[in-house]
Amino acid sequence: MATARAQPSAPFASRELNGEVLLEELGDLRNAQVQQRHLNDCVLNLRGLEGVRVSEAAARLKQLASNRFAGQPALASLLVRWAAKLKSEVDVPLLVSHLERLALVSALVTALRRGSERLPKGGRG
Amino acid sequence: MKHPVSDEAQEQLDRWSARAQRLFTELLEDAGSDLQRELLQRAVAAAHTPGEVHAFADEIRGLSDEELYEACTLEDSAPEDYTVAQLLRAEADPLFAFELKGGTIEPNEDETRELAPTPEPKVKPTFDLPAHDALAHGLSGKKKAGFEAESADARAKAMDWGALGSAPPPPSQSHVSPAPSSGRLLEDLLAEATRGLSVAWREHDVDTQGGMSLADAIASAAGALARGLPVPCAIGPAPGQHRRFVLMLQTNTSGKTRAWQLYDPLTQELVWTNEGDLLAKAELPFANKVNRRLTRIVLPQSLKAAF
Repeated sequence: MATARAQPSAPFASRELNGEVLLEELGDLRNAQVQQRHLNDCVLNLRGLEGVRVSEAAARLKQLASNRFAGQPALASLLVRWAAKLKSEVDVPLLVSHLERLALVSALVTALRRGSERLPKGGRG
Repeated sequence: MKHPVSDEAQEQLDRWSARAQRLFTELLEDAGSDLQRELLQRAVAAAHTPGEVHAFADEIRGLSDEELYEACTLEDSAPEDYTVAQLLRAEADPLFAFELKGGTIEPNEDETRELAPTPEPKVKPTFDLPAHDALAHGLSGKKKAGFEAESADARAKAMDWGALGSAPPPPSQSHVSPAPSSGRLLEDLLAEATRGLSVAWREHDVDTQGGMSLADAIASAAGALARGLPVPCAIGPAPGQHRRFVLMLQTNTSGKTRAWQLYDPLTQELVWTNEGDLLAKAELPFANKVNRRLTRIVLPQSLKAAF
């Protein structure tokens, strides 16, 4: 008999997790002047989170928010909010992946905006 | 006041232009502490460009010695997955350590070119495999991920930061407006932007002579997205006519249909398009219908090698 596969909880199963949701979060972080290096730092600190239990992952995220990113309330708040949404073991790697993408998309969007100046009509053609 | 310079740093400084050497003297004078001066010298000895050293000096000038030590050393906080090569290189090169820990610098490449010394090739100390080899090596044994973004298997596989992290960051390159003479539009900007994340990129024209076919480009992009790496690309009315940059954010598969989510950072349009429409080159769901097809794609280099 086939065993039922664990399903991600609703926020992590959303099709827009790494689309609309990610871009909204990115907008909030930019408005709060969170710099790229803080996002990179966040990614580095999330290494090793995959494979840990939900409760431990949530605790580590909150710890990261209150210690390392205490000076970046918008980022800290994001981590705490996501920590509270972790319900199942499969959510953890999905969250790590989401936050990695967040850092990458932030860097790439900045580069694409700069690069647009090299295109005809400043990339608005 | 004349600050002493180590032999190793002096050896590099001798290759700098007179103006760059004067600038470095001023940077030493402006430095807030002896520790800052020591790290600037080590950055020079590690063969960073004048522009990089200048940007590094600007970044660290406001830091206390405690903050600076924390920002440029790995010992106290080194997680197990830093490689020995990274630890060794970080010890010799504080700028490398600074970036490895998430710090970013924005060297002014106009300044770098202006201050550039002789055309003699610069040799950086190498402690790692070359980026391409290391990336390919790190990923060569990995299972190819599935394409279904909604499946737990595909999405749960986060980007392989461990493998990518074993490679040295891509070298600093220009972030100024004029496109490089090679016709590359984004490689240098992307390398600069993602240096702290240790990702390298390679541009490919789509459907031009010597370029990738659209089908190959899409297959490679799907692989990158499945590993959690968004894919920058250019769109336009015809092959070779790049009009806008967009970012492929993710794919979503339903039955036999795969949809692609694209984001235009300038107009902030976020759209889904079917793969069939993408391959048909007839229309993209952005407001501007003139740009109907992919004209260039920029793939993460490691994944290109792996695929």
